[in-house]
Amino acid sequence: MACSAIMHNDEPLIAWPKEGPTRAPYRVMHDPDIYRLEMERIFRGPTWHYLCLDAEILKPGDYRTTFIGEVPIIVVRDAEGQINALVNRCAHKGAMLCIEPAGNRNQFACVYHAWTYDLKGALTSVAFQRGLAGKGGMPRDFDPKCHGLTGIRVENFCGMVFGSFSEKVEDVETYLGPEMAAHVRRIFNRPVEVLGYYHQVLPNNWKLYMENSRDPYHATILHAFYATFKLNRLSMQGGVALGKQGWHNLLYSAAERDIQKENYEGGHLRSVIRDVGLADSTFLDRRQEFDDGITVAIQSIFPTCNTQQIYNTLAIRQTVPLSLEKSELHWTCFGYQDDDEELRRMRNLQANLIGPAGYVSMEDGSVGGYVQRGIAGAEEDAAAIMEMGGRTIEPAPGIRATEVALRGFWQAYRDLMGF
Amino acid sequence: MPVVADAIRHQIEALNTRYIRAIDDDALEDWPTLFTDPCLYRIVSRENFARSLPLSIMECASRGMLIDRVVGYRRVNVYEPQRYTHLLSGLVIEPLDATHVRCKQNYAAIRTMITGEMMIFSAGVYLDRVRLSDEAQFEERIVVQESRRVDTLLVIPL
Repeated sequence: MACSAIMHNDEPLIAWPKEGPTRAPYRVMHDPDIYRLEMERIFRGPTWHYLCLDAEILKPGDYRTTFIGEVPIIVVRDAEGQINALVNRCAHKGAMLCIEPAGNRNQFACVYHAWTYDLKGALTSVAFQRGLAGKGGMPRDFDPKCHGLTGIRVENFCGMVFGSFSEKVEDVETYLGPEMAAHVRRIFNRPVEVLGYYHQVLPNNWKLYMENSRDPYHATILHAFYATFKLNRLSMQGGVALGKQGWHNLLYSAAERDIQKENYEGGHLRSVIRDVGLADSTFLDRRQEFDDGITVAIQSIFPTCNTQQIYNTLAIRQTVPLSLEKSELHWTCFGYQDDDEELRRMRNLQANLIGPAGYVSMEDGSVGGYVQRGIAGAEEDAAAIMEMGGRTIEPAPGIRATEVALRGFWQAYRDLMGF
Repeated sequence: MPVVADAIRHQIEALNTRYIRAIDDDALEDWPTLFTDPCLYRIVSRENFARSLPLSIMECASRGMLIDRVVGYRRVNVYEPQRYTHLLSGLVIEPLDATHVRCKQNYAAIRTMITGEMMIFSAGVYLDRVRLSDEAQFEERIVVQESRRVDTLLVIPL
């Protein structure tokens, strides 16, 4: 592998611009050697990855399949009630064991040669291990105990199940830091109920969506629906909180507190369309369900997990790289088990705002593709600029016109990649 | 298969023809007129539909909400120029009462981008409840997309 050779020499694959985290070289979005190295240093590195909700695998044998980077993962609850995360790959020939997104099993048997594993990943049987009529079979010293499924670290934090390939990474709560952990607790304050899933293929490198979800600057410019219908404007009270020196962040705003209306109404943003009204706005009917008054809160947990509250729509978004220039965004939308009928109806109709056809989110599906195509063939030293709100990585309470959360992402990325 | 009068079959076929002409000819303003008010229009993946999960990719409960989707498409949302070519097949009609039928029909929508890129953007079934008349209308159209994936974004209804 090309990158191993370069790693061996300890030469970084790229010389980062001297401006530091206010720049991101375009090359990191289309260099296959960098992509291979990310799989090793980010996805198998000292990081936690969202796998599923505890609520999705309640019974023994319930499992879901997902990915960490490109690696297929099974998350399963065993007979003792413990959650295990296993690489979804038979120890014999490497075949994927579980194809379905979810189900219930009492063991995992490979379709290829019937090697069978228990729910903790131990190899329990090998077909024809002793051969037939004393002929063939595995060598006598073949030890099934040495050929189980690869288990990874797993932790259930407030109902979010995370996995990690790293033995070194701290526990999830420490990894998140107090403010980010508090926000997870805010959302997962009582038992949740899954309302459904979206899966959206993004025509871009995974990091372009990571930038997008950390960027309050674009939200009310690109997403004209937000500004036109006064759901979210940069002038509304809000800010950016950071966790783990900017690895994670929370972008938040409160719609009822607009501090500078005239900046929109006297300006010339394309995103404020004057003569447009809604014929039936009942899909915007909403309820203030959090005491803090926050109406939009997008949290990024490094590297690829977001939690989302947009009014009463609650979701976890997980970004999975499919290839260098293609990603898949998985949305798990949920409410609470104790939702009344009216609130459940609100969440489902408000879902018109989100997902691949969302009035305020559809553009995020395509804008990464604008960048991916725009940077093709760029000069070796060409880079994106992130100086909005300064050049440092510090929390920005009360500030929304800022790219601080993107600088935080790139600093974390450089730390892990050695760039 | 239930026996349905030719006159009813013609009404349903005419309604579906108007439906795909409104969408594929970029005459989307005609699309809401093909529904009653209130109505139900949903696009839902087979993954959610099969498990009775309520989340829709798109859901409109009134003609006004359909009109708002058209306004979103024309005025508010940002997307690359694209068009659909719908293909319909396998129409089944089941009478409910003198003025209502349920219908099921396969659809496929090929999406063509301005670059020339074409793909089967969506395929699945239409599950309809139709109010019969010379100008039959959908009381309900549930679009069950077989794939759980949507490529890039969905702005034009299916």
